Amino acid sequence: MFKHTILLYLRKIQKHKSTFFINLIGLSSGMACVLLVYLWVSDELAMDTFHEHDERLYQVRRNVPVAPGELATFSSNSSLMLTALQEEVPEVELATAVYESDNNARLETKDKKLSAFGVMASADFFKVFSYPLLSGDKNTVLTEVNSVVISSELAASFFGEGVDPMGKTLAIKEGEEEIDDVFTVSGVFEVPKNSSQQFDFILPYKTFLKFRDPDDIAWYSNSSSVYVLLAPGTDINAFTQKMADFVSKRNQYLKGEQVVFTKYSDNYLRGNFENGKQAGGRINYVILFSIVALFVLSIACINFMNLSTARATRRLKEVGVKKAIGANRKSLILQFLSESLLLSFFSLGCAVLMVLLLLPWYNTITGKELTFAVEPQIVLTLCLIALMTGLVSGSYPALYLTKFSAVKVLKGKINTSFGDLLARKGLVIFQFSISVLLIVAVSVIYMQLDYIQSKNLGYDKDNVMIFEIQDGLIDKVDVFLEQAKQLPGVVNATYMQGGMTNFSNSSRGHSWPGQTEESKHISFRHAHVGPEFIETMGIELKEGRTYSNEKPNNESKIILNETAVEVMGLENPIGTVIDMRGPNREIIGVVKDFNIQSLYNEIAPMALLCRTEWISNLVVKIKAGEEKIAIASLEKLYNEFNPGLTFDFRFLDNQYQELYQSEQRVSTLSKYFAGMAILISCLGLFGLAAFSAERRKKEISIRKVLGQTVSQVTVMLSGEFMKLVFISIVIALPIAYLLATNWLSQFAYSISLHAGYFISAGVVAILVAVLTVGSQAMNAANKNPVHALKDE
Amino acid sequence: MLLELKNIFKWVNSGGQRIFLLKDINLSIEEGEFISVMGPSGSGKSTLLNVIGMLDTFDEGEYHFLDESVHTLKEKYRSNLYKEYIGFVFQSYHLLDDLTVYENLEMPLLYKKYKGAERKAMVADMLDRFNIVGKKDLFPAQLSGGQQQLVGVARALIGKPKLILADEPTGNLNSQQSEEIMGLFKKLNEEDKVTIIQVTHSEKNAAYGSRIINLLDGRRI
Repeated sequence: MFKHTILLYLRKIQKHKSTFFINLIGLSSGMACVLLVYLWVSDELAMDTFHEHDERLYQVRRNVPVAPGELATFSSNSSLMLTALQEEVPEVELATAVYESDNNARLETKDKKLSAFGVMASADFFKVFSYPLLSGDKNTVLTEVNSVVISSELAASFFGEGVDPMGKTLAIKEGEEEIDDVFTVSGVFEVPKNSSQQFDFILPYKTFLKFRDPDDIAWYSNSSSVYVLLAPGTDINAFTQKMADFVSKRNQYLKGEQVVFTKYSDNYLRGNFENGKQAGGRINYVILFSIVALFVLSIACINFMNLSTARATRRLKEVGVKKAIGANRKSLILQFLSESLLLSFFSLGCAVLMVLLLLPWYNTITGKELTFAVEPQIVLTLCLIALMTGLVSGSYPALYLTKFSAVKVLKGKINTSFGDLLARKGLVIFQFSISVLLIVAVSVIYMQLDYIQSKNLGYDKDNVMIFEIQDGLIDKVDVFLEQAKQLPGVVNATYMQGGMTNFSNSSRGHSWPGQTEESKHISFRHAHVGPEFIETMGIELKEGRTYSNEKPNNESKIILNETAVEVMGLENPIGTVIDMRGPNREIIGVVKDFNIQSLYNEIAPMALLCRTEWISNLVVKIKAGEEKIAIASLEKLYNEFNPGLTFDFRFLDNQYQELYQSEQRVSTLSKYFAGMAILISCLGLFGLAAFSAERRKKEISIRKVLGQTVSQVTVMLSGEFMKLVFISIVIALPIAYLLATNWLSQFAYSISLHAGYFISAGVVAILVAVLTVGSQAMNAANKNPVHALKDE
Repeated sequence: MLLELKNIFKWVNSGGQRIFLLKDINLSIEEGEFISVMGPSGSGKSTLLNVIGMLDTFDEGEYHFLDESVHTLKEKYRSNLYKEYIGFVFQSYHLLDDLTVYENLEMPLLYKKYKGAERKAMVADMLDRFNIVGKKDLFPAQLSGGQQQLVGVARALIGKPKLILADEPTGNLNSQQSEEIMGLFKKLNEEDKVTIIQVTHSEKNAAYGSRIINLLDGRRI
């Protein structure tokens, strides 16, 4: 029986190749979309879940009031937090503190130098987290001050593959905390691929405390991330309530701060905080793409349903004969379902091939290393997808085609009922609504990204090179800068702490004359910069003067941005002295606002301090068009200071683009998904139009015989479908408008939506539909009427 | 007695009016009869045939087939009944275009759940008997009308039915082909004792049968 079904089906494919290919292309590309998204989603969801105690693993954060009624969430904590938690809180089973530097460190042995990224973590790190230790004891690897735990890759690149690195020594230098010492390897670890944190080596937290300025080991100085493993059975809500004032009770500057706990494995997908509450993040994209992929697949399923039912007349004879011969409805439904399942499993094969071919390309777009391995889970998912697709797309035709009685069918007395027509039309409308929605989405995302690229940030991000201050440069920054400024192609040069895309430091509790109660809690972002920073970056000075004629390490001067002056309520800022919980500083200048974060955030009050302490990067502005010569001469100079080191630099505009990496990805992906959806929808429309032309062959002939022209017939045939496309547009545009507004509202700075986006999406949909349907209609209208009428 | 119809009525409602397709039909048919149903277009011949073949329902009356009361049977049993005992021959053959002669013949056996080897033997036997072994791998479109109807009859016969219902079996055939098919029916009726009910317009074809039933406007006359 089954053999017969297959045989019959294969012959049908041979006979109706175009229908088969429309279905195959549609279903397999729909499935490929779902598969690719599935791989990505499951990878995202698995992030950080490998830790053995995932359920009890939390990160300690602080909600800090930054303005009246507004909380900002910080993940950094005082280094005193660790011991306080360990000693005072019984619910905390284990805790670990981790300090992360912004920069890479220099590691050397006698014969090798490498740059690598490391963290400093307290003793229980490997007990709280489950990074696998290949050598060393998890209880002791981080207990000795001069020990270092390294990754297996680092071990291999220093000591060679297969050599036991335990007990070997490494010299490690790191600028920011001024670490410069020799460390002994006490363990080797591995960081799994699905860990959101990646690092090459770990130094003991004791080392961090040893090198840190004793003044900064205090409750108001936040430097480290703290993670806790709660005792089993701890009620997180009650615990959070109990711990809320854990920090604020210790220091007058910390009034209003609340300690909160977030599940560690949630951080990756729900990394955004809104007014102290976890508020989405990557999870939004995970959900969005899951939905879009399912939509694309459902569009393909709809093609299958529509084409199968529209071509019903062709199969009705078969149904009738079989019924007369003795087939019952059940066996016929089974036959149709097996056909659709056959098709869907066949499409699955094609989809798997497509995925295998597309995976490298997909990995570049998503920035992942997804693999497509034959695992029970994947095979099961694949079969499930094919089964669902087959059943969903096959059920309607199966039920529809088999419901007629043999007598009616064989006499050809089938009238397509109003309901069936409505269902078919509804499905086409659904398809095109989705397509229109996706077109609008693509254009809005594209325009917003374009806006971000071209928005005036308040500084000039073009032709600015950034590189780390390392090794030989650390003590000779000024000498280097003086020489660098003389090089051909170099416009200006300076140094700064951190990068332009984020000033990671912030402070509050400052006071100034005329301060109101409300403005007391304002927090300032600040960075240490070189004397010519403002000039090099092209930041506009609003009033006062820059640091260019001041001495570096100027403890008594400060430059603020416009926002800071405004929220502080200063009328004549220049000359005002503010107390920064330390030295008093005189405001010497006010700069116009510039963006240091992504455009999701509004510009915050900001201060530029002229100091050499903690500086980490050199910033060189070069002349447009002379990049090559500038880079070459800078590299030469760099090597004079740092012989043997590669000149590892980056351009600021690239760094800026990285802020929008996930948006770029969304943009690229949605472009392809939208293209796919439109393509599949059009395939379906093409099939339906062809069918409709065939069904109305006789009508067309009669009309032509009665004198209607080819163009009139074409318009008549196309009109039937254009109506549907038009309705889809009317349905889709308001939804698109709401979604676009919603997406854009996340950005503090965004494009304003205007009718153009929506009109053009509608026009694209109509154009594509006209081209698809029109060709079929023309074809039908051009046929000689005699042939059609002779058939009767 | 093979079957018996008692006071069968069938009607459709059209515009508030009841239009009768069959009106008070009484008919009993013995095994081994060869009956021709005649009458002008629209007189209810095909409807009667479909009712007898259980492809169509009726609104009133009783229908007994081999001691079973068809009018009280559930759909499932009814279809089992006709699957088992009735074969159909259609005017336009209704062979499945995508299947070969061999596969068309095999199809009814599939629905009767015959085993593979059995099916093979039965199809081979039928091909042999109708002298179409050489055509077994051809598709219907490659055959002449007469040959197609030959396959149609063979298909109706393969399940060894007691009753063959033929709705204008020669309607699409030329006279020579018609004679062949009618001769075949005659032979089946006489040699194999298969009961045959055919609907026909032609007096000549009706003459092959043992009894003629005339219909007019849904009534026997």
